[in-house]
Amino acid sequence: MTALAETARRVPIRPSTSWIVPLALVGVCVFLVVGSLQSALFAQQVISGLANGGIYASLAVALVLIYRATEVINFAQGAIATFTTYVAWQLIDWGLSYWPAFALTLGIAFVGGFALELVAIRPVERRGSQLTVVIAAIGLLILVEGSVGWIWGNGVKFMPAPFPSHIYYLGGVAFSRQDLSTIAISIASVVLLWAFFQFTKVGLAMRAAAVRPEAARLVGVRVSWMLSLGWGLAAVLGAVAGMMAAASPSVLLQPSMMDGILIYAFAAAVIGGLESAAGAVIGALLIGVLLNLLGSYVSWVTPQLLLPAAFVVMLVVLLVKPSGLFGRTRVRKV
Amino acid sequence: MTRRMKGALVLAALAVAAAVVSAALASPAATPGVTKNSITIGGTFPLTGAAALYGVIPKAEAAYFDYVNAHGGVNGRKIIFKYYDDAYNPANTVPLTKKLVEQDHVFADYGSLGTAPTLATRDYLNKLGVPQVLVATGDSYWGAQYKKYPWTIGFQPDYPGESRVYGQFIRNKVPQAKIGVLMQDDPYGQNYYNGLLQGLGAAKSKIVDVEKYDATQTDVSQQVIKLKAAGANVFALFALPTQTIDALVVATKIGWTPVTFINNVSASPLFMGLAVKSGANVDNDISATYLFDTINNPTASTTKLFDSILAKYDKGADPTDANNLYGVASAWTFVDALKNAGQNPTRKSLMTALTSLNATNPFLYPGVKLQTTPTERFPIDQQILEQWKSGAWHPFGHIFSKAR
Amino acid sequence: MRPSRSTSFGIAVTLAVAIAIALIPYTLSDYNRSTGATVAVYFVAILALNIVTGYTGQISIGHGAFMALGGYATAILTHSHGWNDIATLPVAAAVGFAAGVVVGLPALRLHGVYLALTTFAVALAVPQLAKNYPGFTGGTQGLALPTHTGLWLYDVGWAVAGVMFVVAWLLLRGRTGRAFRAVRDSEVAAASSGVTLAVYKTVAFGVSAAMAAVAGSIYVLVNNFVNPDVFGLTLSLYILIGAVVGGLGSLWGVLIGAAFVQLLPLGLTSNSIGSSQSVPVIFGAVVIVVMALLPLGAANLLRPVLLFGSKTGQHPKTPDTPLGTEGR
Repeated sequence: MTALAETARRVPIRPSTSWIVPLALVGVCVFLVVGSLQSALFAQQVISGLANGGIYASLAVALVLIYRATEVINFAQGAIATFTTYVAWQLIDWGLSYWPAFALTLGIAFVGGFALELVAIRPVERRGSQLTVVIAAIGLLILVEGSVGWIWGNGVKFMPAPFPSHIYYLGGVAFSRQDLSTIAISIASVVLLWAFFQFTKVGLAMRAAAVRPEAARLVGVRVSWMLSLGWGLAAVLGAVAGMMAAASPSVLLQPSMMDGILIYAFAAAVIGGLESAAGAVIGALLIGVLLNLLGSYVSWVTPQLLLPAAFVVMLVVLLVKPSGLFGRTRVRKV
Repeated sequence: MTRRMKGALVLAALAVAAAVVSAALASPAATPGVTKNSITIGGTFPLTGAAALYGVIPKAEAAYFDYVNAHGGVNGRKIIFKYYDDAYNPANTVPLTKKLVEQDHVFADYGSLGTAPTLATRDYLNKLGVPQVLVATGDSYWGAQYKKYPWTIGFQPDYPGESRVYGQFIRNKVPQAKIGVLMQDDPYGQNYYNGLLQGLGAAKSKIVDVEKYDATQTDVSQQVIKLKAAGANVFALFALPTQTIDALVVATKIGWTPVTFINNVSASPLFMGLAVKSGANVDNDISATYLFDTINNPTASTTKLFDSILAKYDKGADPTDANNLYGVASAWTFVDALKNAGQNPTRKSLMTALTSLNATNPFLYPGVKLQTTPTERFPIDQQILEQWKSGAWHPFGHIFSKAR
Repeated sequence: MRPSRSTSFGIAVTLAVAIAIALIPYTLSDYNRSTGATVAVYFVAILALNIVTGYTGQISIGHGAFMALGGYATAILTHSHGWNDIATLPVAAAVGFAAGVVVGLPALRLHGVYLALTTFAVALAVPQLAKNYPGFTGGTQGLALPTHTGLWLYDVGWAVAGVMFVVAWLLLRGRTGRAFRAVRDSEVAAASSGVTLAVYKTVAFGVSAAMAAVAGSIYVLVNNFVNPDVFGLTLSLYILIGAVVGGLGSLWGVLIGAAFVQLLPLGLTSNSIGSSQSVPVIFGAVVIVVMALLPLGAANLLRPVLLFGSKTGQHPKTPDTPLGTEGR
C-alpha cells in the first residue's frame, strides 16, 4: 500500500491551469520593466531589490536541494553557510587570494556537508521520523552557529568582495558589478544543478534515491550515500550564498549574518515550491523586489511590517497553490 | 540497623544541624561583594547575537580592571568583574542579573549594555538597593529618572544631546541645507531625531525627507535611494553600525554625496574602515566624540597606556575600535568613584561618589569633564565634532556642552 | 481500557511528583526559585505544543507567537491598566484561544512542512507587530512590570502548570483526546469514522494557543518585563526541542523536556566547560545525540511507568510523511 501511495503521490496531476503561474510572472516582469522605464527611482528600487533577492536565492536553492533529497527543512543551512564563509575568511586571512580561497572553501564545504549528514543526521534518521530529523537540524543550527562564535569570536570581520566595486550607470540608475554577479551566480547555480540532475548518472541516482528509495536500492543505488551527497552539495550552495552575502554591504561577517537571510530564503523556497530550485530563485527575486517596492511606495507598510509582508505573500501563495508556484500538486492517499 | 550505621546517622544528623545553625547564625557580609581584599561587580552584555559587536566592551573593561589590580587594586582590594551574555534579550538579562545579585553577590551591577535589557532589571535592582551604574546606552532615562530610580546612573552623553549638536551645526554652518534623515523606527532612532529637531530649531523646516528602517532590515538601500530622490544634500544617519555601513556604501554607489552626519555609536573607526573597504566614500563625514583621540596622538601618554593595557590584558583587541576605548574610559570612571567611596565602600557610598563626580578622565577628550551632582546625573555632557579625513576622525571646533 | 492497578499507580506517581514540586522551593535559593518558575513556563508551553503536535500531528514552530500574545496581554493590562497579575491570565488564555483558532483555520489547508513554515512565519511576525504599535505595547523599550519574589513566581508558575496539566489530562483522556489521536494517526480514517476534522483540528489549535498564551503571561511575570525580543524565534525553537526531546504524546515527556531546555544550558553556563562560548555547541550536540539515541524522546524510556500517553508507543506521524515513520 505504501508503494501505491508513493506512486500516486508522485504522478503529477497536471491541472488545466498550469499556464496561470507563468503568465502571472510575465505580467509581473512587464510591470517592473514599464515602471522602471517611467521612473528612475522605481528602476533603482527594482535593481536593488533584485540584488537582495539574489542573496536570498542561493540559500533558497540549498534549502530546496536538501528538501528534495530528504524531505527535511534544514534549519541549519544558514549556519552552515556562515561557517563555510568564515572558513573562506580564514583562508584569505592566512594569505590565499580570493578565488583560490573560494574554490578551496567549496571543496571544504562539500566534505563538511557530507560529513555532517553522516555524523549528525544519519544516526537520527535511521530510527526517527522526520520531526526527529528536524529537531536534530535545529540542534545542528545551535551547534554550528555556536562553533563560529567559539572559533572566531563574535565581533565583525571584513570579507573582501570577489569583484572590485565597479558601478555601472544606465539612465541615472546605478548597478553594481557585485549585485549583477550575485544574481548571475544564483541563476547559474540553478542551471548547473538542473544539468547535474538531468544529465549525470550521479544526479539520476540522487533523484531516484529521493523519490523511490526502495526501488533505487534494488537497482544498486547506495541511497544513504546519496543523502550525504545531497547535504554536501547543499553545503556548497550555502557557501556560495554566504560568500556572496558577505560581499554585499548590507551583510557584515559575523556569526548571526545569515539569520535574516535564512528567513527570507525559507519564504522564497516555499513560494517557489519546495521542490523547485528555479522556483526558489524566482521566489527570492520576487521577495527582494516586492519588499523594496512596498517599502518605497506603500506608506502604510511600515518598516516593521516588511518581514511579515514577505510571509503574507507566502501564505497567499500557499492558500491559492498549496504546493507553491512551481511545486507539484500532491494527492494524498491513505 | 547496625550500631555503626546508627552512629554514622547520628554524626550525619549532627553535621547537618551544625551546618544549618551556622548558616542561620552567620552574620551576612557587611556589604555584599566586598571582602577584605576584593570587590565583585558584574554586568550583562550582548556577547552573541546581532549586537555582538559591542561585546568587546566588557573585555576592554576587564582589561582595565586587571591593570588596576596589577597595581594594587583600589584601596587594597582587587576588582573581580563577572559578565554574562544576555544576547540583548531582556528575558536573559533578568535571570542573569538575578544570578549576579543573588548567587555571585555582586557589589554593583556595572556597565550593563542596552536600553531594553537595563530597563528590564532597573526595578529589581533599585528595589534591592543594588547600584546599577555606568549603564552603557545613550538613553536619557538614567540621568533623568533618578528620583524614582536613585540607584541607577548612566555614563555616556545621551543620544538627543549628541544630535542636538548636529542640529546646531547644520543651522549655523549649512545654510542651504536640505536634510534627509535615516533613522531606526523605534525610541533609539527617535531619540536622535528629537535631538536633531531641537538643535535645528527654526531650521527644521529644511528637513525634506525622513526614512525609517526596522532593526531586522540589514539592507537600507531602498531608504537611501528615496533620500537621494528627495533632493537632500545633508544626510543625518542615525542607525546601528550594520545599517550605517550599508547606507554609506549605498549612498556612494548611487552617486549621492551629501554632507553626512553619523551617530557616535556607529562611527567607530572600525566600522568606518569596513564601510571604506566595501566601497563607501566617507571623506568629510561628520560625527561627534567625547573620547580621547588616540589615533592622531600616538605618542600621548593616554594612547600609550591604552595600547599597553589592551596589548597586555585584552590580547587581540583592536585599538582602533572606539568601543574598546569606551570600555576603558568607563572602567576608569568606576575605579575613580570606587576610590572616592572610601576605605570601606558601601553601596551607598559608591552612589554618593558617582553623584559627586568631578574628575578629569585621561581617556576622555581633553576638556571633557566627568561631572555629576546629586541632581545633575549625566557624567559626561560634552562632545566635540569630528570629521573623517585621510582615514581617521579629526576633532574640530569647540567643545559643545549640553545646557540644561 | 486500562488495568486499574496501573491507573492507581500512575495517580500515585503523579501525586508524589506534584508534592515534590511543591516542596522543592523551600530548599532553593530565591534565584533558583525564579529558575524553577521558568521551568514551569516551559512546561506549560511544551504541554501546549504537545496538544497540537503530539496529539493531532500538526507541527507548529510558532508557539512563541502565542506566548507573546498572552505575555503582552498580561503586560498591557498590568502596566497600563493596573490589573492584578493573576487576573490577567484568563484574558491571556482567551486571547490565545482566539488567535489559535485564527491560525488553525487556514492551517486546515496546509500540511506538514508548509504548516510548520507558516507557524514559523507567525512566530516572526508577532514581535514585528508588537514593534509596530509602540503606543500600545511599549515598542522596543517594552513595558516594565512589578517585581515578585522567587517564591511567589515559583508557586504561581507551578500552580498554573498544575492546572494546565489537569486540563490537558482531562481533555486528552476522553472523546476529544481519542479524536485528536485519530486525527494524528490517519486523517482519512478519522474523517470516515465521523470525526469532524475541521472542528477538532481547530479546537486543538485553539486550546494549545490558549495554554501557550498563559505560559507567556507567566514568562512575562517572571521577567517583570516584556519587549519584542523576549519572544524571538529562539523561544519557539526551544519549545519544540523540549517537546520532542521529552517525548511527544507523553505528558511526562513535557516535564522532562521543560527541565532539559531550561536547566541544561543553565548548568553548562554555570560550569563553563571551556568558556561560555562552548555552551551552545554542547547543547546542540546533546540535542543531536538525544535524537539519535532516543528518537521517541526521553519519556519513551519510562514507558512501562507511563499512564497518560496511551499511544506513546506509536510515534506521531506528520500527515504528509510518504513512507510513514521508520524505514528509509
